[in-house]
Amino acid sequence: MPAGLDKLKHIVVLMMENRSFDHMLGGLMKQNPRINGLTGNEVNPDMTGTMVKVQPNAKFQGQLDHDPDHHFPGVDLQIFGGTPPGAGRAANMQGFIKSYATQGTSTNASRAIMSYFPPDQLPVLTRLATEYAVFNGWFSSIPGPTICNRAFAHYGTSFGNVDMNLFYIQDPIPSIYERMIQAGHTAKIYYYDQQSSTMEIVNLLKNQPKIFGSYKQFIADCNGNTLPEYSFIEPCYNDHPGPGGGQILASDQHPDHNVREGEKFIANTYNAIRTNPQLWETTALLVVYDEHGGIYDHVVPPAVQSDGYSASAAKTGTGEAFNFDRLGIRVPAILVSPYIPRGTVVAGPEDPNSGRIFEHACIPGTVTSFFLKNYDNRTIREKNSQSFLTPLTNTLRPDDDCWVFAV
Amino acid sequence: MDKKYKLVQKVPKTPKSAYNHHRFISSLIHHQLKHFNELEKSLLKAGKKLTDLSRIKTELHASKYLKKMTALLHPQGVEKPQKTVRRKKVRKAAKVRAKSKQVKRRRRA
Repeated sequence: MPAGLDKLKHIVVLMMENRSFDHMLGGLMKQNPRINGLTGNEVNPDMTGTMVKVQPNAKFQGQLDHDPDHHFPGVDLQIFGGTPPGAGRAANMQGFIKSYATQGTSTNASRAIMSYFPPDQLPVLTRLATEYAVFNGWFSSIPGPTICNRAFAHYGTSFGNVDMNLFYIQDPIPSIYERMIQAGHTAKIYYYDQQSSTMEIVNLLKNQPKIFGSYKQFIADCNGNTLPEYSFIEPCYNDHPGPGGGQILASDQHPDHNVREGEKFIANTYNAIRTNPQLWETTALLVVYDEHGGIYDHVVPPAVQSDGYSASAAKTGTGEAFNFDRLGIRVPAILVSPYIPRGTVVAGPEDPNSGRIFEHACIPGTVTSFFLKNYDNRTIREKNSQSFLTPLTNTLRPDDDCWVFAV
Repeated sequence: MDKKYKLVQKVPKTPKSAYNHHRFISSLIHHQLKHFNELEKSLLKAGKKLTDLSRIKTELHASKYLKKMTALLHPQGVEKPQKTVRRKKVRKAAKVRAKSKQVKRRRRA
């Protein structure tokens, strides 16, 4: 076992909201051709049939104020370009502008879905992606919205759900937190504060309130060396007044929340680990996005082993049932640890020989395999999922070789 | 940060204009509220009315409802209100002003 894994005591996952890989990190390919980003020649047709190229003109706020569609039928249109379900249809990633235009945006405004950030506009994400490990092939688990995708991060499955509706767990698959605690380990979900709360509500907050903490508690746990073995962090999901008359901004980066505030949140989370030497050498931090939020990415989502569930045609809204055998659109994913060499790129589907596919079932899959070893009570898809800890090596980078953020 | 680090990346500030708690809620927040509303149903005491979600339009409204429900389900997460620095400064400034007025009055006298 590499020293990085041998020394590992804590895994922290920070899950942000609704941005695609190309939108946030696609511009990095010009700096490092091993990163599967944008050449600048990727196109999508608009409603007039004009081919529109990707543009490095993404804005922090105000550009996607009409929340781009990312529900199941909308994502189906984005992936298949409008070809209706049926045998032999091929994914072409040509329906992003069409999808945004169906939401009442003007022809001009609908082109914004092809925008991406130049790397210097996102100093935090860019720094982490280039200093540690970036995954070329991390996909959302379902071509659909937040709640069902986040369920994969907690349970390794969404229990057959492809939408935002409420669902109760009917099958004996415990959440990763319950698995850890039942086995005598420690785990926590940190929501930002009570005004923002959590997206994992019905099954866990109601029945397992002890596994929750606030972000303030996360910072205190980092400072006090009381961080659980596994932590899942939720950003702030809304703007609201803070204690003492301050203003708390949403930091989730969900359109149309300010992307810079999300950068600050990622930086603060990283700093909390980085500036505690004891924690820094024993922690792996995964920064990942739940789904693409309707924003363009050029990589066709690959097939995946089904988790054994099926969503009916009525549930998907496309006229065709979904057997959870295809992934959603690619999202940014970065693994941070001082045991990761600078500039690590984990190859994805662009490399047919050594590329690997990751998705949110890898989160409980990796945490379970690392802390609990063998554990049967989970889906076959989670059991066979890739470990995201493989970029950790034997070599600890010197402290002076690792950045901190001045927030 | 007390320790000095060799490699420091500056993080740009978010402009104050980014804050807007009157922003209409997204589909994501709407569904978050729906989930809490389901829980509220199951926790409702006799004679109490269920929160009408159609009246929650903005992020500020949503945050108030979420705070109420989360406090109910997870009282451990309650944050104590902090004393603000601004108030102290105001008080200090007021004291200084009052003192200077007193001095002026004395001089005039």
